[in-house]
Amino acid sequence: MANNTILEVQNLTKFFNTPGGQLHAVDGVSFTIERGKTLGIVGESGCGKSTTGRTILKLIEPTSGKVIFDGQDITGYTRKQMRPLRQEMQMVFQDPFSSLDPRQTVMQLISEPIIEHKLLKNKKDIEKRTLELMETVGLAERYINVYPHELDGGRRQRIGIARALAVQPKLIVCDEPVSALDVSIQAQILNLLKQLQQDMGLTYIFITHDLSVVKYFSDDIAVMYLGQMVEKAPSDLLFQNPVHPYTKALLSAIPLPVVGKEKPKRQLIRGEITSPVNLPDECRFRKRCECAQECCKNGNPHLREIEPSHFVACSCV
Amino acid sequence: MAEQELVLKIKDLVVHYETDDADVHAVNGIDISIGKKRTLGLVGETGAGKTTTALSILNLVPNPPGVIKQGEIYLDGMNVLEMSSEELQKMRGNEVAMIFQDPMTALNPVMTVGDQIAESIELHQHISKKDAFEKAKEMLKMVGIAETRATDYPHQFSGGMKQRVVIAIALTCNPKLLIADEPTTALDVTIQAQVLELMKELISQKEMSMLLITHDLGVVAEVCEDVAVMYAGRIVEKGTADDVFNHMRHPYTEGLFESLPNLKERGEMLVPIQGLMPDPSELPPGCAFSPRCPYATEACSQQIPKLESVEGSETHFVACRAYEDPKFTLGRNRNGQ
Repeated sequence: MANNTILEVQNLTKFFNTPGGQLHAVDGVSFTIERGKTLGIVGESGCGKSTTGRTILKLIEPTSGKVIFDGQDITGYTRKQMRPLRQEMQMVFQDPFSSLDPRQTVMQLISEPIIEHKLLKNKKDIEKRTLELMETVGLAERYINVYPHELDGGRRQRIGIARALAVQPKLIVCDEPVSALDVSIQAQILNLLKQLQQDMGLTYIFITHDLSVVKYFSDDIAVMYLGQMVEKAPSDLLFQNPVHPYTKALLSAIPLPVVGKEKPKRQLIRGEITSPVNLPDECRFRKRCECAQECCKNGNPHLREIEPSHFVACSCV
Repeated sequence: MAEQELVLKIKDLVVHYETDDADVHAVNGIDISIGKKRTLGLVGETGAGKTTTALSILNLVPNPPGVIKQGEIYLDGMNVLEMSSEELQKMRGNEVAMIFQDPMTALNPVMTVGDQIAESIELHQHISKKDAFEKAKEMLKMVGIAETRATDYPHQFSGGMKQRVVIAIALTCNPKLLIADEPTTALDVTIQAQVLELMKELISQKEMSMLLITHDLGVVAEVCEDVAVMYAGRIVEKGTADDVFNHMRHPYTEGLFESLPNLKERGEMLVPIQGLMPDPSELPPGCAFSPRCPYATEACSQQIPKLESVEGSETHFVACRAYEDPKFTLGRNRNGQ
C-alpha cells in the first residue's frame, strides 16, 4: 500500500437480520482515501451511506470485509484496542440538536474528549485548550458557560466540530453535517470545514444526499444505491461525464436555481427505491432503469474502470 | 393587475406571538398578491415568518400565543379575517387547501388513505360515502397511485407516496389557491423531482394558483413565476422569477445566492452571509438585515426601508435604502450584468 493512503476499505459488508430476511445495508463496498483528501459518499435515504461511515469507525461491527486504517487492519479490533485509535478517527453528526448532551455546558462538551483521552491533566491547560478550540471553530469566548439549547443550529454544529477536533484526529467522518442548517449558515460551516482541512491536513469522508454540497467539497465522489457503489470518480469527472443511469438521474434531479436560461432536460426515474431485504441476483437498479436490457437480469454488476480512475457498475456500458 | 383578478391579496399583515417572556414579531407588515393561475414562491430561511404568513391566510395561527395584530387578507375578494368560524370551515378545503412539509405526520395513521381522501370529499361536496370513495380512487389515480391501494394505511406507503396522498386530499375540491409549505423538503431528490413534476402538471391542468413556501431557490426556479424574498418578517424583494434571479437588487437576496454551493467551482470559498438571523423578539432598529449587510450605512439602522419599484418596473420591488444613491449596484451585478 502506498504510504499516502490513510484508509483502505475492502469488500465491506453489513447485513442486518430482520424478521423478513437479511437486510443488505452495505454490500461489498471498497475504496481507498489518500491523506488530506475528501471522499464524498452520496445517495438517497436507505442506500447505506451512514452505515458505511459508522462501520468504518467500528461503531457498528462489519459482517465481513476489511478496514485498514493507517496501515493497521482494524477489522478484528476489540473495543479496548480501538480506544487509542478513536483519537485518530472522529465523527461529526447530522443533527446538532440531538448529538449534544443538553446538560453539559460548552466548556464541558468540548473538554470531554480531552479529559476522556487523558490528553491534558492540568485544569488550566484544559481550559486553555478548550478556548483555543473554540477560537478555531469560530465560537466566541463568551459562550463558554452556555448550554447547547441556548445556541442556534450553526453554533451547535461548531461545538460538534470542536469536539471532533479536540483529539487531533487524522480522519473525520462527517455524516450530513450541514443538512439541518439554513443555506447561509450551511456556507459558514462548509467554509470552516474546508479551512480546517487546509490548516490541519485532515482527511474527510463526507456523507450527504446533497449533490451540490459534495461537488463543492470533495476530491472524489462515490454514488451508492441499495448498499453498493454504482459509480466512483474524481468530482469534476463525475459531474462532467456521469455514466451510470442512476448517477445521471440523480444529477438531473437537482433543481437548479436558474431562471430563463437554458437548462439540461430532466430525466425522471420511475418508482422508488426497492426493499433492501432478500435482494435478487440482478442489477439492483434494473426495475427503475430507463436503459435496462436482458443482460441486466444476469447477476449484479461489479465496479469496472471505464477510463482512468472512473469506475462504474453497469452491464450496459 | 386588476383587483378582481387576484385570488389572494394580503395587505399590511402583522402577526405577533405574545408570550410571558417576549413579544415575538413574526410577520411585520407584508403585502402579497397572487393572480389567477400564478404561482408565487415565498423564500426565506428558518424564522423568516413564511409559515406564519401561510397560516394567517387560513386564519389558523395558533391563538394564544399568536395574534394577528393588523392587516387584511382577501381570498377571491372575501376578507378572511372577518369570517365566522362556519364560513372559515367552508372556505378551508374548498377555496384554499394547504400541503404541509411532513407527509409522515399529516395523515391519520389509523384510517385508510382512501377513507381519508373520501372524508374531505364527503364533507365539502355532500355526496354519499360510496360515491366519495369512488371519487377518492380517481384522485389516487390522478396522483399516480394504483386504485387498489385505496384500502392501504399510510404506514404502508413511502414518504413520496404519502406526499402524493396529501396532494390528492388537497386537490379533491378543486381549490382556487393551493398553499404548499415546503412540500418536498422531507423527500429525496429523485422523489422530489417526481412530486414537483406532478404538482406543476396538476396546477396547470386545474388552473389553480399556488403559494409555494420554500427555502430552496432551486425549487422556486423550477416551479414559480413570481418570487418574494422574506427576511425577519418583511418582504425585502419581490418580482417575477426573472427579476429576482437574474436582476436581483437586495443584498440579502445576493447573500442567499452567494451561499449556494452548487453554482461554484470546487476549491473556491463560499461567501456566506455574516452573522445570524436576528431574534424576532428583539429586531434591530431600521432595516433588520443591516447588521449583517456588507453595504450597510448608518442611515440603514435609522428607518425601515419601504418596498419601492426598481427603476419604474411594475413587477420588481426592493426594500433597500442603498438605492437612494443612484450609482449603487450589488457586487454581483457590477461585473457582467
